[in-house]
Amino acid sequence: MLMHYFDLAWRNIKLTPLISLLMVVAIGIGIGVTMTSLSVYHMMSADPIPQKSEQLYAVQLQTMDDGQTWNTSDDVPTQLTYIDAQYLMENSPVAKRAAMMKSGAAVHLDKADSAPFIEDVRITGRDFFSLFGLSFLHGEAWTQAQSDQAAPVAVISEDLAERLFQRSDVLGESIYLDERSYEVIGVTQSWQPTIKFYDVNNGPFQQAEHIFIPFSHIEAYQLHSWGNTNAWKNEETRSYAQFLNSEMIWLQFWVEINSQSQLKSYQQFLMDHMLEQQKLGRFNRKELDYNLKTVNEWLGYNQVIDPDNKILVGLSFMFLAVCLANILGMLLAKFLKRAPDAGVRRALGASKRQIFYQHLVEVALLGFLGSLVGILLAQLGLIGIRETMSIYVGIAKMDWVMLLISPVIAILACLLAGLFPAWVVCKTSPATHLKVQ
Amino acid sequence: MLNMQNIGKLYQTEMVQTQALREFNLTVNEGEFIAVTGPSGSGKTTFLNIAGLLEPYSSGQYMLDGIDVGKLNDNQRSDLRNQKIGFIFQGFNLIPDLNLFENIEVPLRYRGIKAKERKRRVEHCLEQVGLAGRARHLPQQLSGGQQQRVAIARALAGEPRFLLADEPTGNLDSLMARQVMTLLEELNQAGTTIVMVTHDPELARRTPRNIQIVDGQVADFTLYQGGQSPRVNPQKPVEA
Amino acid sequence: MSEIKPILNTLMRSKAGALLLILQIAITLAIVSNAISIVSDRVDKLSEDTGYDEQGIIAFTVLTYNRNIDRAKQFKEDMAKLKEIDGVIEAMTVSSIPLSSSGGSWIVSDNPDEMLGKRVDSGYIQANYKVLSAFGLSLSEGRDFEAQDESEGGDGQFPSVTIVSRAVANKLFGEGKGLNEFIYSGDNMMKIVGIVETMKSQWPDSKMGDNVMLIPRERSSMYQRVIVKTEPSKRSKIMKLIEPLLLENERQRVIIGIKGLDEAKAQTYQRDTLMIRMLVALIVFLAIITALGIFGLTHFNISKRTKQIGTRRALGARKSAIFSYFLIENALVTVFGLVVGALAALYLGGQLMALYNIPALDWSMVFYTALTMLAMSLLSVYQPAKRAANISPSIATRSI
Repeated sequence: MLMHYFDLAWRNIKLTPLISLLMVVAIGIGIGVTMTSLSVYHMMSADPIPQKSEQLYAVQLQTMDDGQTWNTSDDVPTQLTYIDAQYLMENSPVAKRAAMMKSGAAVHLDKADSAPFIEDVRITGRDFFSLFGLSFLHGEAWTQAQSDQAAPVAVISEDLAERLFQRSDVLGESIYLDERSYEVIGVTQSWQPTIKFYDVNNGPFQQAEHIFIPFSHIEAYQLHSWGNTNAWKNEETRSYAQFLNSEMIWLQFWVEINSQSQLKSYQQFLMDHMLEQQKLGRFNRKELDYNLKTVNEWLGYNQVIDPDNKILVGLSFMFLAVCLANILGMLLAKFLKRAPDAGVRRALGASKRQIFYQHLVEVALLGFLGSLVGILLAQLGLIGIRETMSIYVGIAKMDWVMLLISPVIAILACLLAGLFPAWVVCKTSPATHLKVQ
Repeated sequence: MLNMQNIGKLYQTEMVQTQALREFNLTVNEGEFIAVTGPSGSGKTTFLNIAGLLEPYSSGQYMLDGIDVGKLNDNQRSDLRNQKIGFIFQGFNLIPDLNLFENIEVPLRYRGIKAKERKRRVEHCLEQVGLAGRARHLPQQLSGGQQQRVAIARALAGEPRFLLADEPTGNLDSLMARQVMTLLEELNQAGTTIVMVTHDPELARRTPRNIQIVDGQVADFTLYQGGQSPRVNPQKPVEA
Repeated sequence: MSEIKPILNTLMRSKAGALLLILQIAITLAIVSNAISIVSDRVDKLSEDTGYDEQGIIAFTVLTYNRNIDRAKQFKEDMAKLKEIDGVIEAMTVSSIPLSSSGGSWIVSDNPDEMLGKRVDSGYIQANYKVLSAFGLSLSEGRDFEAQDESEGGDGQFPSVTIVSRAVANKLFGEGKGLNEFIYSGDNMMKIVGIVETMKSQWPDSKMGDNVMLIPRERSSMYQRVIVKTEPSKRSKIMKLIEPLLLENERQRVIIGIKGLDEAKAQTYQRDTLMIRMLVALIVFLAIITALGIFGLTHFNISKRTKQIGTRRALGARKSAIFSYFLIENALVTVFGLVVGALAALYLGGQLMALYNIPALDWSMVFYTALTMLAMSLLSVYQPAKRAANISPSIATRSI
């Protein structure tokens, strides 16, 4: 019977091409607008590292004196000082942890025909790769010894390897970062989380870095952050050594914690560190404070979803409601015009329910057709967003979840709009339409 | 076959109440062919709608083939209609978007009959009404008489035991009307019970039993025994 | 107006259609008036005067990766070369590019102990003493920098003079005051020698959007910003010459992001541009959908009532009476929808303001949107009503 309803629905759609087209376009526009903003919202709010988001914690320490404020909800700075980051990295009670920051360099091959270009560089601990699940195509991360000696070694992504050498297996090759020569010891597979959750300083939708070098290089080569460096205290920081020992806040820190007991001991570790530092005159405050936030807590805390996008999603759904009211009106007109047919069918033995279903199937079919138009329009909308906002390249797109959910939303919305008209048709007494046509 | 006792039907609108039928009593036996006449607005159509289970009634009792119709819900009434009753309308009421085959198929589908059996029955019915080979035509490609024959075929497809006809020849010229009437008579001979509403005295005269509805009641009926020649109805039917 | 009562009666009887229309119109008004309010706010922001010669200035960054290069000397040569290009008015290194959402900021106070005085977050831009004219800024009070202002700063020290935006002076010293006052930041003390009325900071879209100060101190760092002021008509041509020219002077560096200051500003405001475009698309689609809805529903109503209309005509109704019947019917429904919508719009505006820091929705915005919608609604009912008026009275006697 269902197939028969589909057959009837398709015929009816063909019989009233204009009004059907209008309805499909109306649903299409509604779905197109809604899916455009919803897709962006979906990508913005999607878990960027679902397999580990509950084990990864961002570490924050309240380093500021009492009375100082920060632009976070709890006034705790989002980044760490070099002293703290360095200590947490070297004395960690848990295995996987990494301090990190974004820097950058002119990348070239020291050949006449190699034009230098600018690339972001992530300066971090060797655990960065296993923490965030980057996999190596060739080679591996630097060793502890290499890190201790600040050896000039680098891990690069396959994309950069291709760009520089037109191949991915480039272990042992030299690349130049500024005037320093580095040996490539590892090549990672392309890696681009939808949200750059591990460092939201320059906006959460930046591209991931393609070059990774050991954390020890910061001190060894006097490197500066290309992210944010903030001060809350007036300090003499003219020399680099002074800068490193200052209360300047400029480093991110992540740990992997796999159990409740590990979490406990890590919390204790942080408290101990702060108490120890208090003796040295730092952490000048009544109550010590720190944060350990999982990836999703961290993203919420940093408010990565643009409020503009939330507004757009809200308005789009209201827009969809207008489209539905519109469709409802058209369906009512269309179905009432065909009510005599329903009357004949009733006289021939169709039950109310059968008439009701027949009309709902037609509505669902219209919804499905509309969703096709909608998906097409949403793609155009997303292209428009990417053109307008270059950093949304990674998130202004439809993943398969959104692609599948579009027809579901469209069909459900249409069924909602179709309930009333279908009910009106099926409850009409069949006798009214039979006497004279 | 059909037994109505003290059936009343009250139409209620915002402004007025209309008593369409009151204390309406009628018994129709298996195999009968009855013509129902009566002035416009007397309640003929209401009677037909109630008899065909298209409308509920306000009071009284209606037994169809031993079943108390008043106790059925809408779905059961639909099923009963589908299985036992065939309709023929003055306006044919063919579904314009479906071709002949599909039109006739409609009641069979609602009965859940398999495609193969549907095909057999539809073809048989089309043949019965003399329209074999035109299964793929659309209703508007046919003349009025042909359309009514399709409507009859559709009514027959479900092999109903009870046929309700509402002015089946009202929209046809006299030649066509006679053809349709002949078809109905043949069906009756084959055992189908037929109730036909008409205001054509000529047609009414051809049926063995006539009843007249006046002011929502059976005003007068004359029963003819088989073999006897029909008597002229003592009261001339009022033209609608 | 005696017509209204029967029209209302008819409307009450066919509730569904009228309700749908009211719903559509109400939601449309709620969305559109709020969307327009947001759009106009963003457009104001985008078109706000920044004080700079946005069309004349080229901005870029030079990363000198070879640390052995004498950058100060190199930049001096570079700037001289740049100034030789036809159409270049000025070229200089600057510590950060205005409007680019990147650069340095600090807290300044009117008291040497900032905890005791008023405090203001302000961006600062260091450049040579000709910076004011290079940016195309116009001084409203005080004097421009002079060459010797720079030398006062020598050896890593900050110079002792500064030019600030009006907003900074006002916040520290009160409306219209501040000239020749001293401001403090850390160990630095500077005298305000000039005030610029309109001068946006590096972050025009932030709380310190109007707070910025200029410091006459020329830098030549490894990661160095540069601006070139040109005659606007020759700017695009000059833009293409910069990279080859600088690399010819010295190869061991990278020139990054050569763009006009207006382009840099546009990038800073990308989010707002996106919001404007999305909302405008939303408004346009909504207008189309709602107009179609009104048109369709009226059309349907009329075709349903064709016979009735014919009968009315047969009974002596004039064409104009039929026409105005539908117009009035539509106007009644629309006005009712608009009233409901206005309430919904204000509620929505309140919610948006509370949740998302959107400026308050103005009553007049709702009013003008409603007026436009009423006009649009009458326009979309015009054709169907005209058609209804043209229905022949003979329809009444024809049976269908």
